[in-house]
Amino acid sequence: MTKGKKIISYTFLSIVSLLSIFPLYWMVIAATNKSVDVSRGTMLPGMELINNFKNLVASQNVLNAMTNSFKYAIAMTVLSLAICSLAGYGFEIFHDRGKDMVMSVILLAMMVPFAATMIPLYQLFSKAHLLNSTAGFILPMISTPFLIMLFRQSARSFPHDIIEAARMDGLNEFQIFYKMFFPTMRSTYAAAMTITFMNAWNSYLWPKVIMSDTKSATMPMLVANLTEGYVTDYGMLMLSVVFCTIPTIVIFFLLQKSFAEGITGAVK
Amino acid sequence: MRKKVMAVLVAASMVLSLTACGGSGDSSSNNTEGKTETEAAGGENELTVWCWDPAFNMYAMEEAEKEYQKENPDFKLNIVETPWADVQTKLTTAASSGDLSSLPDILLMQDNAFQKNVISYPDAFADLTGSGIDFASFAGAKTAYSVVEGKNYGVPFDNGAVIACYRTDILEQAGYTVDDFTDISWSEYIKIGKDVLEKTGKPLLSCLSGESDLIVMMLQSAGASLFDEEGNPSMVDNAALKEVMDTYAELVKSGVLVEVNDWDQYIGTMTNSTVAGTINGCWIMASIQTAEDQSGKWAITNMPKLDKAADATNYSNNGGSSWAVTTNCKNMELAEDFLAKTFAGSVAFYETILPASGAIATYSPAAKSDVYSEPQEFFGGAPVYAQISEFASKVPSNNTGVYYYEARDAVATAVTNIVAGADVETEIAAAEDTVNFAMGK
Amino acid sequence: MSGPNKKLTLSRKQNLSGWAFLTPAAILIAAMSFYPMFRALILSFKTGVGLNMKWAGTYNYVRMFQDAVFMQALKNNFIYLIFQVPIMLVLALVLASLLNNKDLRFKGFFRTAIFLPCATSLVSYAVIFRSLFAVDGLINTVLINTGLLSTGYNFLGHATSARIIIILALIWRWTGYNMVFYLSGLQNIEYSIYEAAKIDGASPWQVFWKMTVPLLRPTILLTAIMSTNGTLQLFDESVNLTNGGPANATITMSHYIYNMSFKYVPNFGYAAAMSYLILILVAVLAFLQMKAGDKRD
Repeated sequence: MTKGKKIISYTFLSIVSLLSIFPLYWMVIAATNKSVDVSRGTMLPGMELINNFKNLVASQNVLNAMTNSFKYAIAMTVLSLAICSLAGYGFEIFHDRGKDMVMSVILLAMMVPFAATMIPLYQLFSKAHLLNSTAGFILPMISTPFLIMLFRQSARSFPHDIIEAARMDGLNEFQIFYKMFFPTMRSTYAAAMTITFMNAWNSYLWPKVIMSDTKSATMPMLVANLTEGYVTDYGMLMLSVVFCTIPTIVIFFLLQKSFAEGITGAVK
Repeated sequence: MRKKVMAVLVAASMVLSLTACGGSGDSSSNNTEGKTETEAAGGENELTVWCWDPAFNMYAMEEAEKEYQKENPDFKLNIVETPWADVQTKLTTAASSGDLSSLPDILLMQDNAFQKNVISYPDAFADLTGSGIDFASFAGAKTAYSVVEGKNYGVPFDNGAVIACYRTDILEQAGYTVDDFTDISWSEYIKIGKDVLEKTGKPLLSCLSGESDLIVMMLQSAGASLFDEEGNPSMVDNAALKEVMDTYAELVKSGVLVEVNDWDQYIGTMTNSTVAGTINGCWIMASIQTAEDQSGKWAITNMPKLDKAADATNYSNNGGSSWAVTTNCKNMELAEDFLAKTFAGSVAFYETILPASGAIATYSPAAKSDVYSEPQEFFGGAPVYAQISEFASKVPSNNTGVYYYEARDAVATAVTNIVAGADVETEIAAAEDTVNFAMGK
Repeated sequence: MSGPNKKLTLSRKQNLSGWAFLTPAAILIAAMSFYPMFRALILSFKTGVGLNMKWAGTYNYVRMFQDAVFMQALKNNFIYLIFQVPIMLVLALVLASLLNNKDLRFKGFFRTAIFLPCATSLVSYAVIFRSLFAVDGLINTVLINTGLLSTGYNFLGHATSARIIIILALIWRWTGYNMVFYLSGLQNIEYSIYEAAKIDGASPWQVFWKMTVPLLRPTILLTAIMSTNGTLQLFDESVNLTNGGPANATITMSHYIYNMSFKYVPNFGYAAAMSYLILILVAVLAFLQMKAGDKRD
């Protein structure tokens, strides 16, 4: 790269990054200020972080919500990745007209707004006596057309000669998936993991409808609690938002190397 | 090869059974938990309540629990913090599914949504008429929100009586006092408002664009509604509504009213001292009081009244909520007795919650209590709680009807277009068409 | 004869193991999505309040085309789709190919920063966007100070500018999200191919259009379908940034469906019918995209 192009790249990336980070900066600043100063539009750090934290802990069970959110998000991510990557692999590697058709039909499952299917789904869970249960919470969110298609599209770049060679070596189909596809596709798994974790972590409407007790509250529910009421304490609210956002960012930061810096060379 | 296919099938089914096991394992353990909870709630001395504001209605419920425990030491409340939007979603979902078992014993309902919910889901709510709760001891206009076909479905809670708040220091700069704003009409308000704007550069009032709150407050102050007695929309040929729309447009045009786009900015106009006052339900005081450095600089009085409307008053209502008992309640007597002895029967209880939460009752006997007459330093030493209780007793009733939210949104659309220059009568007719369409007419 | 026969059984067996791979996911989708969707389909032919639903034939489907608010929402959704999706996907592709450069420093920081918007809570981002574009907000202050405006402009109070803000907000929020898939897709392409192209004297522009885009085609198809679906079901921004205003100029179909179900007198038959219109629209668009992009070389 020439020097001029380099400068353009860095400038462009810096501007985009700055625009992207700004709300997060504001959020952190707000968390250190008094509510009234936040509503007055302050952009400077304040001295109220400890007070906001004390108020937050006094009014909400943050530890419980954090634990729940981690529990549900991890369970959902693991199950979701396992089931959807199997399916995506199946759809692509063994593709024929029938499976391509099924894939198209599966895509339909994401095209109806949730508001329309929520009540039939609730009836289903009520009949199955799964209201207020962990299973009721996570089951609808495990298998998603999006993840299946993500793995199907990624499997397209998985070399077929590797599969043939493995079959010659006597590996069964599941072993090929587990020993060949899984390690090769680490970048796809890492990307899928980040996104699935984030979606699971932020899920709100369905969990709120199916769970009724205080014990099962998650972080997004805690944030929602703080926005209701006649007076909003913005300092405290933004502190809870910071807590709610950090896990996703940390996971992204830890995983970004594995999906953005090629490790595909290993198999080729 | 066959062996290999089998292996894959086994592997796949293992993953499947893993989920199934995980699922059923979790569900069974949780189900037992759920069961013990329902039993406790239904059988013994425990009630589950949904409400949403820790500093306000949740606090009030906790104090009510303590009050009731004085006579019934075994009594227990399980208060589940549930934002209003979620109370509505969960209620709609449960009632539409025909499975009411997930509902609590008591829930807090926005007054605006009461008619809609009771009429849409008559099986979900308990009729409290004749339960021993004295509904006559509440302000009439307030109780009316939760009365459907002559039956009482709600115990009134917080007050939504409208107050007009003014910054006395800003008014002083322009040569006015709060007395100049008491018992006035909107034309006088606009006249003084222009003067204040000219002298201080500050509008008298800020308001959310695209919301119909102020419109409906003005309408109700003259005893008018968006619906007639039969529940049909009555917007076209509604002289009061036309006057309200004209007044609103003039307020915006003259600069006396400044429109902002969201709630945070609305609160900001007050805490940043960019406006000289506001008009809203009395609960707005709590937000005003967050600006501690403005203590002593605020005063309250009644709102302006319409100039032409026949039954115009200086009193109205915005917001507020009431307690409803669901039919999922296994111990109806307990729920009724609890509400009758606390929210509908204890002056001492209201005296306790007022200073800490500012929860102003609609329970008339409480208004006569000494606690309500205490001077409030923030509002220049005026006994604002007693003032508000007095306002509340003078509010004309509002006929909300089932399609209230539809009508409010239609009117909000109309007023946005009118402010942008559209014809008043065309827009009102369009709003009525929208509501008629929603009603399937 | 034994040769082809054996091959046939082999491919049949592979075919069967293929089905085995996708069975768990398919069963879950059938139970958790298709069953409720089927129930909603039946509901869409009924009308009534609460549990009292009566058979109404195609009444709801006819009704939605006479519903001025819904027609406005449909139009709004298409405006968002036409402008937002192409801009966002091209921007995401450009960012991903810039960040796929081995010589670039601070890659981790840039990637995380650009991804941040979609992880940022709706609560804080809505507050910030609204205050930035307020009459006395930062954007207006800048425009006034540079002499472009004389008084503050109410961006969220006018139809066109409010729609532009929604489009900007969507681009801001989802570009980094889509970039993630492009970045991970790029890892499956040998880096040496790029090096070779550069040595052959190809300009970055040529490399981008002639190599990156074709090689990422499966991923681009995926993100295009997902973004189309996401935009036609757009809900958050309409509710939180503009509340559908001014005068329904920015309301989306999903927002209206939500109102119809949970804010207004519940009319689930009508809400279901409107939802099925969304399904038909997304399905047609996804079908066209699959036709154009789902090819195996």
